[in-house]
Amino acid sequence: MSDKKKEALEAEIRTYVGKPIGPPVTGRDPVNEPMIRQWCDAMGESHPAYLDAATASDTVHGEIVAPPTMLQAWIMEGWEMHEGYDEPKNEQHRLHKLLNDNGYTGVLGTNTEENYTRYLKLGETVTALTVIDSISEEKATGAGIGYFITTVTTFTNQDGEDLGNMSFRVLRFKPADGGASQAASDGGGEAAVAQKPSRIKPPYGHDNGWWWEKVAEGDCLPIQRCADCGKLRHPPRPMCDACGSQNWDSIEASGKATLHTFTVIHYPQFPGYEYPIISAIVDLEEGERMASTIVECAPEDVSIGMALEMLIQEDEDGFKIPFFKPAS
Amino acid sequence: MPTTLHNEAAIAGIGQTAYSKNSGVSELSLATECVRKAIDDAGIEPSEVDGLVTYTMDSSDEVEVARTVGIGDMTFWSQVNYGGGAAVGLVAHAAMAVATGAAKNVVVYRALNGRSGQRMGQGVSGNIISSDLIHWSWYMPFGLLTPASWIALQAQLYMHKYGATSEHLAHVAITQRKHAQNNPNAAMYGKPMTMDDYMNSRMVCEPLRLFDCCQEDDGGCALLITSPERAKDMKQKPAVIRGVTQASFEGQEQMTSFYRDDLAALPEMELAAQRVYEMSGLSAKDIDAACLYDAFTPEILMQLEAFGFCGKGEAKDFVTEDSLTIGGALPNNTHGGLLSEAYMHGVNNLAEGVRLIRGESCNQPEGVEHVLVTSGVGVPTGAVIFGQD
Amino acid sequence: MQKTYKASELEVGQALPDLDLETTATLVAGGAIASRDYTPVHHDKSAAVSQGLPDMFMNILTTQGICSRYVTDWAGPDATVTCVKTKLGGPNMPGDTLKIRGKVVSTDGDDADIEVTGNNAWGNHVTATFTLRLP
Repeated sequence: MSDKKKEALEAEIRTYVGKPIGPPVTGRDPVNEPMIRQWCDAMGESHPAYLDAATASDTVHGEIVAPPTMLQAWIMEGWEMHEGYDEPKNEQHRLHKLLNDNGYTGVLGTNTEENYTRYLKLGETVTALTVIDSISEEKATGAGIGYFITTVTTFTNQDGEDLGNMSFRVLRFKPADGGASQAASDGGGEAAVAQKPSRIKPPYGHDNGWWWEKVAEGDCLPIQRCADCGKLRHPPRPMCDACGSQNWDSIEASGKATLHTFTVIHYPQFPGYEYPIISAIVDLEEGERMASTIVECAPEDVSIGMALEMLIQEDEDGFKIPFFKPAS
Repeated sequence: MPTTLHNEAAIAGIGQTAYSKNSGVSELSLATECVRKAIDDAGIEPSEVDGLVTYTMDSSDEVEVARTVGIGDMTFWSQVNYGGGAAVGLVAHAAMAVATGAAKNVVVYRALNGRSGQRMGQGVSGNIISSDLIHWSWYMPFGLLTPASWIALQAQLYMHKYGATSEHLAHVAITQRKHAQNNPNAAMYGKPMTMDDYMNSRMVCEPLRLFDCCQEDDGGCALLITSPERAKDMKQKPAVIRGVTQASFEGQEQMTSFYRDDLAALPEMELAAQRVYEMSGLSAKDIDAACLYDAFTPEILMQLEAFGFCGKGEAKDFVTEDSLTIGGALPNNTHGGLLSEAYMHGVNNLAEGVRLIRGESCNQPEGVEHVLVTSGVGVPTGAVIFGQD
Repeated sequence: MQKTYKASELEVGQALPDLDLETTATLVAGGAIASRDYTPVHHDKSAAVSQGLPDMFMNILTTQGICSRYVTDWAGPDATVTCVKTKLGGPNMPGDTLKIRGKVVSTDGDDADIEVTGNNAWGNHVTATFTLRLP
């Protein structure tokens, strides 16, 4: 996009800031027990204040109230949402269409913040007014370059009484990967990926494939050994650095080890791994060192020098990998 | 023919682009802009340049840069491997070319869309060269996917062994952030940081918090290297190379040298220190300021020890609120460094080393005669000492 | 009736009991319809597939409803939710086990902030901070 064209686009999107997306919307039904019960069924709620007048009176709420996170549900459009919004129906749709038409085709819900002034009571009617609150400068993100758009919705009842508010932030972006992470819907905060991710696998080459095969076939931890001078080496390499021999075999490690050092990894998070990860360098009893992962141990219980024992972890996809846990 | 690189070459020009999170231009555009600025800074013509050196990781080939900038005939070019470990290597290769007559005026450069394009901090899961894959496969399946995770393993052990704490790391981060407040070209200009800000930043890979980690930025930075004699006739006061070396130590891996006896030390930096001190005839007490590579704060502590500014395990006592700034024991990364100026893979730290010699730093200490600059930590690396003409 | 925690009884860092939730198509569709969200990707697999996902996925309101239930089931019936801040991550789909974990991150007078994370095989699905007013 030329600088001029971009300036024009930015000027146009800025005109949306501060605009209500349309007139206030009032929920079709007042707060009612059947909808609350249906919500509780799906969410697995058994809260006494949501489901039964008798038990509700024993709580701080004193009477039946609606679950707080249901606030937006009272004003959702319902059935007509299935038709989609190819034709923009309000200012928010028009803003998104404008960006979409300029190459910002991805949408990702990123954050919400909801403040509940109080829980809603049976019979109350909910009205919502949504305003386009802000549009960020153009930002570089993991998904691609784009704009964060924040809308703020205020909720009131039939008497104009404040019930709470919600801000919702979406990223409208030019997909960096040519569209693979194109989002699912305006409401969806979910990036699309084609296959269920799993941990990154080693490629099997001449110098390393045998090691992973032995792990998988023998449920063991092999260590490469020079067939001539007997020196152990890990990670495997094609020549002995002590005697120059290219002949090698391997031994099975006992699995006993001590923790040399570790890190608890929180960010960035890659698909296929569960965070936090305790990644470690361990000293095998045989004298070699290896990178691995500590499991069956809380991060706060990990300490340098602790005794460990090996276990073979088998992932959902059948991949096997040697991990360590605190020695029993 | 010279037998060492002592006083055989000098930095006569520096050039840099704006540093940003989204340059909006190609990496070639950034590369040519900073190269041209380095040539202009030295006050010569592009046609007088006959050598170029960059990173193996750089996407802008030497001949593309030469053709775009208007550099004519070239008799020397080269690329240096290992990410930020290459920084000083560029200067070493250029100095060798100048000293031997392979080229007269060599420009070294690094330009990257490090935030809006291929990001380093995102780790090795993406575009990986296949010959590397086997190496990284000893780490990736275990979740060790990013530079922060590899350095964290060493930092954890170092802190455990010597009793260094987050507060010591914070002094490094806060001092450099303070330096950036006087540097309008720094990404963190106008964004000061308190101890609370630091402590409240999120854990990335324990013990590293977000503010222990350098940034990711778009930009380019270049240096022009020539002979000390030719430099005298150019526009700027030259920074003469007193000593320069690359250094890789036994058992070296590119970022995962976890198999040596002592993981709480940087033997490749100790090798670099021994070499540059010997070549220059200088020692730690002669160094007036430094730009120690600072992708992660614990690297500063470990380098202070490797270069003999303090004893092993004593960096935690050396690093205080004001030891690494003007008036302190060793003013370090006076421009903000990779932590607070920009992540130009270390070339911007070399440029600051030159400014310190010229007396032009945004935080200029008095009487700077010798400046030490280092390359990437935990990788095959290097060190250089600049001196006054 | 279950007792409700007082803020003074909580310790920062204290963990809530784990909840591993098996996600089914019924839960995804039921949650969407209970929140009056008829966007096809939340009840119609073919609509989700046409958008590049392998299956229909949970809408935000259901995720929030389940997390809210998780927090108040632990805190007790007299805990009032006053604020929810949500950071959205990857999708949660039928067949996924949503591992919900929570911990106390701060207390302030009668208020307490509880951080809830929901992770599945795709990575982080949601991170939410619930502010509770406690008796």
